[in-house]
Amino acid sequence: MELEKLRETAAEIAARDDVKYLIGWKKGSYGYRVAPAFAEDAEGASDFIFSPLCTANLATYLTLVEKLPLPRGQEPDKRKVALMVKGCDSRAVTQLLVEKGIHREEVIIIGCPCPGMVDPDLLNKKYPETEETAELKWDNDGFVIVRDGEETKVPREELLDEKCQLCRYPNPVVSDIMLDDPVKAWEPVEDEGVKEIEEKAVEGRWDYWQQEFSNCIRCYSCRNVCPLCYCQDCILDRQNPDWVYRSVNFSENTAFNIARAFHLAGRCIECGECERVCPANIPLGKINRKLAREVRDKYGFEPGLDPDAEPFQASYKPDDPEDFIL
Amino acid sequence: MTDKPKIGVYICHCGINIASTVDVETVEEYALKLPNVEVARTYSYMCSDPGQALIKEDIKEQGLNRIVVASCSPRMHETTFRKAIQETGLNPYFLEMANIREQCSWVHEETEEATAKAKKLITASVAKVRLLEALESKEVDAEPAALVIGAGIAGIQAALDIADAGFKTYLVEKTPSVGGRMAQLDKTFPTLDCSACILTPKMVDCASHPNIELLSYSEVEEINGFIGNFDIKVRKKARYVDFDKCTGCGDCAKECRVADRFPSEFDQGMGNRSAIYLPFPQAVPAKYTIDPENCLYLKRGKCGKDPKCQEVCGAGAIDFDQQDEFVEFKVGAIIVATGFDPFNPSRKPEYGYDDYPNVITGMEMERLVSASGPTGGKVLINNGEEEIEPKEVAFIKCVGSRDESVGNEYCSRVCCMYTAKQAHLIREKLPDANIRIYYMDVRAFGKGYEEFYDRVRRENVRYIRGNPSEIFKRGNKLIVKAENTLTSTPVEDEVDLVVLGVGLEPRAEMREIMDLLRLSQSGDRFFLEAHPKLRPVDTATEGVYLAGCCQGPKDIPDTVAQAKGAASSAMIPLARGKVTIDAQVAEVNEATCRGCGFCVEICPYTAIEMVTVNRFGHEIEVARVNEALCKGCGSCSAACLSDSVQPKSFRDRQILPQIAALGVIK
Amino acid sequence: MSANNEPNIVAFLCNWCSYAGADLAGTSRVQYPSNINVIRVMCTGRINPLFVVNALQQGADGVLVSGCHPGDCHYMEGNYFARRRLGMLKDLLEYVGVDPRRFHMSWVSASEGHKWKEVVEKTVEDAREARSYEGFRRRQIDW
Repeated sequence: MELEKLRETAAEIAARDDVKYLIGWKKGSYGYRVAPAFAEDAEGASDFIFSPLCTANLATYLTLVEKLPLPRGQEPDKRKVALMVKGCDSRAVTQLLVEKGIHREEVIIIGCPCPGMVDPDLLNKKYPETEETAELKWDNDGFVIVRDGEETKVPREELLDEKCQLCRYPNPVVSDIMLDDPVKAWEPVEDEGVKEIEEKAVEGRWDYWQQEFSNCIRCYSCRNVCPLCYCQDCILDRQNPDWVYRSVNFSENTAFNIARAFHLAGRCIECGECERVCPANIPLGKINRKLAREVRDKYGFEPGLDPDAEPFQASYKPDDPEDFIL
Repeated sequence: MTDKPKIGVYICHCGINIASTVDVETVEEYALKLPNVEVARTYSYMCSDPGQALIKEDIKEQGLNRIVVASCSPRMHETTFRKAIQETGLNPYFLEMANIREQCSWVHEETEEATAKAKKLITASVAKVRLLEALESKEVDAEPAALVIGAGIAGIQAALDIADAGFKTYLVEKTPSVGGRMAQLDKTFPTLDCSACILTPKMVDCASHPNIELLSYSEVEEINGFIGNFDIKVRKKARYVDFDKCTGCGDCAKECRVADRFPSEFDQGMGNRSAIYLPFPQAVPAKYTIDPENCLYLKRGKCGKDPKCQEVCGAGAIDFDQQDEFVEFKVGAIIVATGFDPFNPSRKPEYGYDDYPNVITGMEMERLVSASGPTGGKVLINNGEEEIEPKEVAFIKCVGSRDESVGNEYCSRVCCMYTAKQAHLIREKLPDANIRIYYMDVRAFGKGYEEFYDRVRRENVRYIRGNPSEIFKRGNKLIVKAENTLTSTPVEDEVDLVVLGVGLEPRAEMREIMDLLRLSQSGDRFFLEAHPKLRPVDTATEGVYLAGCCQGPKDIPDTVAQAKGAASSAMIPLARGKVTIDAQVAEVNEATCRGCGFCVEICPYTAIEMVTVNRFGHEIEVARVNEALCKGCGSCSAACLSDSVQPKSFRDRQILPQIAALGVIK
Repeated sequence: MSANNEPNIVAFLCNWCSYAGADLAGTSRVQYPSNINVIRVMCTGRINPLFVVNALQQGADGVLVSGCHPGDCHYMEGNYFARRRLGMLKDLLEYVGVDPRRFHMSWVSASEGHKWKEVVEKTVEDAREARSYEGFRRRQIDW
């Protein structure tokens, strides 16, 4: 993708009168980091980028904005919000449209066909962060690390994020403007992470998740970063009824994690943000992806593809599977 | 809930039904120790007057504000105890029952086990009852008027009954005349009354009844609201004839430039009509209608120099500028009587209905034998060379019924009898004809039906068991190919006329009504009644009732009976003048609702809608429950991710403590 | 499991079919294990799948959800929604290692008193056989 074109388009949109702001990515201030950025005018969008580190799903900001009380007589700002989306992000936007979290006319969607993101943990492990800012870009069949003007080629397999290895929708499914030609979708690899757990006996699965859930510190980052967890008043914060106690222990952690995953059944679009932000490194993606696969295989449903779809959890088919029923 | 809960627990012996297995005294002692329990008592029959008095006294004297009755199933006596509590002035919904009979003493023999279980169930009830809320069932006024959709015999009868009871009734009919399918029939089985003779007076009645507003050539466009309060919008289609001026003289139809050019719907296309027409001579209202599809003037803007009809109409009733009109009104109840479609035998090509003019349907036969039909009642056919009276006549039954290959597994219930009747009519008219009926089974179940069937057989009508596989032509004869399954012999039967005993199917356009009224279909695709046995005229939408063949195939007596049933059900809210709205309905917490609309998608009663509310200056969409439509099933709440929609008395915060109580008590 | 090693089952029954079926079992004096404790709701559609999670957390060794057969729902569709939601939950629970024998769902109509007995026996038996792990029960359960 031409950086020029991206910035030109971004500036043009950010400058529009009917646009409140444009959400995109820009280079962070340290090492490889990339930060989400908000541009209210052309100037603000002048340093926007799209690189293999633009993992953050910006769709989450659409519903994260707090609607503060307005002084009497003041009209709400009804200008549009523009945002840049990768394939997975666009599915979050579509799912938000299904769930009326946003309305189509309120957003401008700038599509970024995505050749795949780098796993920041892998990157840091293999090529530790520098004091100076470093950059990453795509090459024909891999990534290129640029440090102090020096380029290092890295094969794609070495750094490609797990969620991207499994990706089936690298191109935005909904957009107003596309910044580039669609990328050729690749053959997703088998989900080894999920398979490994499935192959365990029930005790093994229990032990595995017991271990993982024990690490949970209940910071709710997974919930907060999720573009589809946008209830203003989450049931997990409530005291009456208290579905899950606030205490951090194995019982509550397990209940919390099951509840979180279940609320995303048929809604999760597998952007992997929950797992990325988890400070305890709980492989949340392995739960979400398992459920997503069940929904796809057993119920023939994939969320975030059709804005007019019936929500999975609010619909049924007469021939839904019932082999589990006594 | 401002008051601290003061709970009374009442444990019933139910004679020995409970007490012989459950140690009620121990349970009483146990219950007294439960939190917030002030009183615990046992009694031989809690549901008896003295038993109820016990509870009432305690409420009054001890100031109890929550009641747990541990006795039989709440399905048995919940209402009894609610009423008792209400008599003391306490809200009747401050009651929880513990089912220690059907689900405890009767199913667990060991006293120890049963006693332990009774304790648990009571604990769970105590856990819940503390958190119950006061509910009020509301009453709203019901509009003392009804809408009847469809003016066949079912709609006519229902409308007449409701109107006779003194309620305003709007009778909406899609076609230009009332009468429906019954008007097309010649005679009716088994009594052989002339259909027109018994129907026409009713048709006239419903047009002249002071309480009936007949909206013919009209369609229901919109229905909103709920039982007692439906807002209706009806489109009165333009007839292009001034309704008040038309005298029904018929000069226009005679003089029409395209007179007698178009197949008459009423005569099943066997006769013709003009572009301006009266569907049949006894049509009600006797007002002419211009068919805009075929009228030269309406189609091309030109009909000779001047349209003939306009020229000859002495009353000056022709009005080519007429537009559709809309009428809006309010009703308290709705009856759907939209009827059926005869099965189209083109879907069974082996019978050659599309290929051979002398393969006709039962409906066509009705017109052919009718004195007012296209042949004046003479059974005449054209064998390709000349008009003849058929010598050999075959009937085939179950065409389009009991036939999975066309998707109709059901029996149409009228074909056995109408083929018998038609065989009889042909026998009357053609004493020498050979008549045979191919059948699978003969189902002559109604009053006088079996007798009639016997009579027809005695009239030398042959019944051959076997379903023909094919009809083809040989010379100017039709060959019916079948197997006589009683003798296991193949048959190739040479006949002049084949009458297909076509079955009844749901109306092709029933979808429109389904969407308007949120009705469902049963497996046979007819409208689904609320309960197949106990609520056969009701639907899942309260205030909407079914009459006639739209609910399933029926003969005339059954149709009339159901119409009368539907009318009487519809009159309940009208006569009462009020409808009670259930108190245990769902409620949305608009402050936490995220507006996703899952609940709207789920609600089978469309009781939830999205509304825009102002939240601190922002316009926000939230769900809102229409209490009049909600049935309290709670399906919405299980899908609500923010738990914002909750059924009253079955809220999460009322159920979770129940779970905890059951989990913690060993 | 409780001290006497008997599994404790929490069952959620719809009012119109399964609860009536359980009542019928009573009227017919059909005997079945007393380990089952019923919570009545109007429709299986009401059952938030998190009730099941909550029951396991609040001391149930097994959970049963029972409702009308497909097509028989008093509210027309509630059991279909329940089937989808709880089917998903079942997959999820199994995946995180909750023994599948701890959660069952059944269709029991108002006329199936005997089927109710069989379902109860199966549920109790399965919960008894399920691996005895501490599960994720709360240490302190209040109601």
